[in-house]
Amino acid sequence: MTDGWNIVVCVKQVPDADDVSIDPETGRLNRSDAEAVMNAPDYNAVEAALELRDEVGGTVTALSMGPPNADAVLRMAVGMGADDGVLLSDPAFGGSDTWPTSLALARAVDELDADVVFGGEETTDSSTGQVPPGIAAHNGWAQLTYVEELEARPDEKRLAARRDIEGGYERVAADLPVVVAMGFGENDPRPAGLHRKIYAETDFEPETWTAEDLGVEDEVGLAVSPTQVGGMDTADPVPREQEVVEDSEELAEQIAEVI
Amino acid sequence: MAATSDSGVDIEEYDDVWVFVEQHDGEVASVTWELLSKGRDLADERGEDLVALVMGEDVAETDIPQQCIARGADRVLVADDPVFEPYRSDPYGEQFRHLVETRKPAVALIGGTHTGRDFAGRVAVPTHAGLTADCTELEMEDGRYEMRRPAFGGDALATIICPEHRPQMSTVRPGVFPAAEPDEDRDGELEDVEVVVDESETMTEVLDREVGDVADITDADVVVAGGMGTEGDFEPLWELADLLDGEVAASRDAVEEGWIEPARQVGQTGKTVRPKLYIAAGISGAIQHLEGMDDSETVVAINTDPNAPIFDNADYGIVGDLHEVVPELIEYFEEHEEAIPA
Repeated sequence: MTDGWNIVVCVKQVPDADDVSIDPETGRLNRSDAEAVMNAPDYNAVEAALELRDEVGGTVTALSMGPPNADAVLRMAVGMGADDGVLLSDPAFGGSDTWPTSLALARAVDELDADVVFGGEETTDSSTGQVPPGIAAHNGWAQLTYVEELEARPDEKRLAARRDIEGGYERVAADLPVVVAMGFGENDPRPAGLHRKIYAETDFEPETWTAEDLGVEDEVGLAVSPTQVGGMDTADPVPREQEVVEDSEELAEQIAEVI
Repeated sequence: MAATSDSGVDIEEYDDVWVFVEQHDGEVASVTWELLSKGRDLADERGEDLVALVMGEDVAETDIPQQCIARGADRVLVADDPVFEPYRSDPYGEQFRHLVETRKPAVALIGGTHTGRDFAGRVAVPTHAGLTADCTELEMEDGRYEMRRPAFGGDALATIICPEHRPQMSTVRPGVFPAAEPDEDRDGELEDVEVVVDESETMTEVLDREVGDVADITDADVVVAGGMGTEGDFEPLWELADLLDGEVAASRDAVEEGWIEPARQVGQTGKTVRPKLYIAAGISGAIQHLEGMDDSETVVAINTDPNAPIFDNADYGIVGDLHEVVPELIEYFEEHEEAIPA
């Protein structure tokens, strides 16, 4: 038996990718109407966190960094079953790249005395996948990325995982505390329960921590981010013939021309 | 420009272009050769050396270091120790941190594989590097190093710079840059480096590892890709690919349905392919997918929906059910074997 584990799951609010449309006139992306939702791979992270809690006991705290209205994704996680939520919100965080973002999250999970920290494998808006390893690196903890399945070993104070690797898989056991990036689609996230959902939307209030609370006020934001956006260009679509043929033989002849 | 930036990093102390050599059991990931080729160009433009970084057990006895020289490296740093086999993020990360701190590379290139992304995310933090994920272009522009990566699902290209931190690190997916042919006559320097990691300090243990025959869709001249329109039946695609000496690939949806293995996924979160011929069967053409196939010379689309975006991004298309069209293509090529190059 154990006393249970302190489990933290990091969730991010992103623009709904399904709402991002291409303007037929300009060919540019139109994301202004996109609804803010929880990053899709984070549902897998929340589910994995809840399953682990069910197995070893303990608590699940949802953690997010973002503007004040990002509390919506904490409410989503609490609706699914997370026990509590913390929002890192401060204008000082603005413009942070993955280095200071993972620093702030690393300080927060340390503050929460986490045994296991979950995140999704990457976000749908910036797709770097750098934040979970960044949290682990800042704290000097072990990391497990592209995780397909978990196997808790509370007696050994370790967490084992099956990880997806090129052409196969590997099983790795890591000492606690450990940061786990769950592979997208690797489990079936549970829907929010009705009572839990009502609680999440009415009574539940997340704690909000600022950069100063975490002691990182001089180490976050655009100015200290190693990478900067130096410009943005429209990616020109590759010009294509766009010739639609009527029957398969004609298509086969076109294929024969190019191979 | 001040030699010491606001970050306190003396960026002028940093030079050379490094490539992380990803090897498992003595097999080098093909993306490594692609990065050495691109790294060679960058090092020449910067007037610096190209350095390959090899870590593993008994790697010094393999031909990997020599291969790195044949593929463009001026120097090869070899960290040879059992602690590096198989790959684990913590010993690899600690060794890399040590090498960066003592040798100060300006640029570091890493494959955008699961191993490479695991490693890069781990090492950029302790070295306080700028790390840009999934770069598709790496250029010197008026003396400034620019990393470009798709943004907003591939519709835009963001230029990322790293003005005050070193190294400037990038991950690059397999297939983005072509590999150069090896030149066995090239000269280079091999150096064994001090191993600073001890097994007793590691936090992870690899219990077992299963790797099958890895399909390499990035190297095929013909790629026959299927999506949701296959409804799980990839059989005709396999037949056509076999006939045309190509590989079968898939959209993310099809991989997530479990119809085909992840190694065959094309797109923003999969691989980039650059075949002569790309046949998209039952693929609607979401921008994330288009990003992985844009380098194909000729694109052929087969889809029942005449409004599918794939038709705007194809050279030749046919509106129809792939389960009828693909068998007809197979029949055509069985009857016209002369149309298939030997």
